[in-house]
Amino acid sequence: MTDERILEVKHLCKFFYAGKHSAPMKAVNDVSFHINRGETLGLVGESGCGKTTTGRTVIRLYQPTSGEVWFNGKRIDGKLNAEEARAVTSKMQMVFQDPVASLNPRMTVEEIICEGVKINNLYPSREERRKQMYRMLDMVGLTREHATRYPHEFSGGQRQRICIARALITQPDMIIADEPISALDVSIQAQILNILSDLRKELGLTILFIAHDLSVVKYFSNRVAVMNAGRIVELSSSREIYDAPMHDYTKSLLSAIPVPDPRVEKKRKRISYDRRQDYGPDDHPQLREVRPEHFVLMSDSEWEAYQKA
Amino acid sequence: MSENMTRRLTAEDTAFVQTDDKIYDQKFEGKPIGFFRDAWMRFKQNKASVVAAIIILFIVLMAIFAPMFAPYGYREQHTSFGILPPRIPELEKLGICDGSKIIEIQASKLGEYEECLMEVLEEYTWVYRNKEIPMLRIKINQYIYKGAGDYYFWFGTDNIGRDLWVRLWRGTRISLLIGFCSVLINCLIGVVYGSISGYYGGRVDMIMQRIIEIIGGVPFLVMSILFVMFMGAGVTSFILVLILTGWIGMSRMIRAQFYRYKDYEYVLASRTMGAKDRTLIFRHILPNAIGPIITQATFAVPSAIFSESFLSYLGLGIQAPEPSIGVLLAEGQGFLTTDPHLTLFPALVISLLMLAFNLFGNGLRDAFDPRMRGQ
Repeated sequence: MTDERILEVKHLCKFFYAGKHSAPMKAVNDVSFHINRGETLGLVGESGCGKTTTGRTVIRLYQPTSGEVWFNGKRIDGKLNAEEARAVTSKMQMVFQDPVASLNPRMTVEEIICEGVKINNLYPSREERRKQMYRMLDMVGLTREHATRYPHEFSGGQRQRICIARALITQPDMIIADEPISALDVSIQAQILNILSDLRKELGLTILFIAHDLSVVKYFSNRVAVMNAGRIVELSSSREIYDAPMHDYTKSLLSAIPVPDPRVEKKRKRISYDRRQDYGPDDHPQLREVRPEHFVLMSDSEWEAYQKA
Repeated sequence: MSENMTRRLTAEDTAFVQTDDKIYDQKFEGKPIGFFRDAWMRFKQNKASVVAAIIILFIVLMAIFAPMFAPYGYREQHTSFGILPPRIPELEKLGICDGSKIIEIQASKLGEYEECLMEVLEEYTWVYRNKEIPMLRIKINQYIYKGAGDYYFWFGTDNIGRDLWVRLWRGTRISLLIGFCSVLINCLIGVVYGSISGYYGGRVDMIMQRIIEIIGGVPFLVMSILFVMFMGAGVTSFILVLILTGWIGMSRMIRAQFYRYKDYEYVLASRTMGAKDRTLIFRHILPNAIGPIITQATFAVPSAIFSESFLSYLGLGIQAPEPSIGVLLAEGQGFLTTDPHLTLFPALVISLLMLAFNLFGNGLRDAFDPRMRGQ
C-alpha cells in the first residue's frame, strides 16, 4: 500500500429529479473521499443511503450533478475522448450485487469474460484472448470446460466468480465491488470474499467495497466510510470506526450487529438513530478531522461543542 | 466471555475462514444448452403446438406446391361446368366427394336425368291447385349431367367453372404472403422504433410515443378503405394497409422490453467496460427480447391474414382474377344455401390456419418464457 491516491472524489453530488417542479432526490450529497493504491475502502450504510449511486457515479454510469472524480491522476467525470475513456473502462471495473442479473443469459461464459477485452481492444488475437480468459477462469477457480457454458447452468457463487473474472481480465487498477456477496448464500459468501482477498494480495488490487454487512466490511477493508442519507458521516480506519465510533449514526449502525453469543445477544441494546438528528440547511455539516485520519460529519454547532469538551 | 452489555465484536473475534479450501466445481455433463436449444426442448413437450406447427407447415407447403401440380390454372374457366360439387378419384367410390348433388324434380322429368341418376331418395306428392303432382328427390352425378364425366375438380368449381382446389391454394398462398410480408416489415419497423424509443427514453421516448398515439388513433377501417381506393386493390397495397398501424403493437412490446432490460446489471456491466449504444442494443438487450418478438410475430400472422380476409370480404379484396381466402369466401357466400362447398373449403383452411397459428404461438410463448428457463 502506498500513499499514492488512485481515486479521489471531491464534493461529489448526484441528484435525481422526478419532475420539473419537485425537489431533487439527493442520492449523493457532497461526498469526498480518496482511496490509496492497494487499499480497500469499505462503504457501508443502510439501504437507499446512496452507496450504490456513489459507486456507479464514480465508474461513470451516472453523470454527477456536481463535484469531481479523479482516477490515476486524471479527471474522469464529464465528457472524455476515446482514449481517456478507455483508460477508465479498462482500468476501473465493477462487480455487481446480483450475480443472476449481471450475466447476459444469451452469451457464453467465454463471450462474457472476453467482452471488456474485445471492447477495449486489449488482445487483438483470438488466441491470446482465449489464453487470457483461461487464466482468469483458473484464477477464480473455474475450469476450462466452463467457458462454453451459459450462465443459467451455474450456481450463484460460480456466477459471481465469473463476474470477478470478467472484471479482472482487463487488468484493472481498481475494482468497485457493489455488494458482491449480499445476494449469495452464507456458505458461498466466504468463498467469494476469500477469492477477492487473495486477488487483492496477489495483484495488489485496489477495491472500493460497497456493502451493508458491517462485520464483513470490517475485516475486509483498511478504511471504512459510513454513509447516511447521501452523506459520508464518518470515515476512518476500520479499527477506529468499530472501536471508537464518534457519530451517532455509526454507533446506531454498530449496535445492530448481532453477536454470536446468546448470553450477550440477549442483552444487546440497539441504539436507535433519530432521523430528526439529520442536518438541516443551516447546519453546514462538514467532515471534520477529530483525530488523525478520523473524519466525522459535524455541523458547526456540534463542532464547537466537541472542541469545548 | 464478558458479560458487558455493550460489548461489541472486535477484530480479534473474526477471521477469514475456509481460506485453505480449494474450490472444487463439478464438471458439467452433456452439451452446453443454448437459448434456442433450451426453447426447443420445452417446445417439443407441448404436443398441441407441435401438431399446430405440422399443420402450418402442411398448409404452407400446399400453398406453394399445390397450384404448381394442379391440372388446371387458377384463372382457367370452364364456362359450361359452373358450380360443380367436389369430386375426388378413389374417394368417390366411398360415396363422399363423388360429384353428386341432390335435386328435387317432377317424376315425369326423370327421363332427363336417366344417365346421371345415382339414387332415388324419396317419392312424394306435391299438391298444387288441387292437383297431385308426383315428385322425386334424387341424387344425380352433376359431372355426368353437365357433360364433364372425365373431369375431376377436387374441391368443385365456382360459378364460371374455375377449379376451386387450385384457386384455394393460390388464395392461401397470397393470404400467407400478405400475412408474412406485413408481419416481417412490421417487426422491422417496430423493433427499430421501439428500440430507439425504449433505449433513449426521456424526451425522445415522449415524442415518439405521442406520434404513435396519433397514428394509432386513426380508425383502421376508414384508413384502409381510403388507402385501397387510392392505391388500387393489390397485394402491395394490402401489405401497406396492414403496415400502416400494424407495427405499433410490436414497437410497444419492444419498448417495454428495453425499459425492462436497459437497467439490468449485465447491461450496466457492459457499459462500464465502454460498450457503445449499438453493442448494448443489439448484443445485450435485443437478443433477450427475441422470445417475445418471435411470439408476437407468430400471433400477428393470423391476425394479418384475418384482416386481409375481412377487407376482401367487404369487397375491398385483391383484384380479380387473383384469389385470396377472403375473396373466395366473399364469392362463395352467394351460393351458401345451394352449394356450401364453395364457402366450406376456404373457411376450413382459414380456420385451421388461425387455430394452428394461435396454438403454435402459445407453445412458443411458453417455450421462450424466461421463467421456465433451465427447467
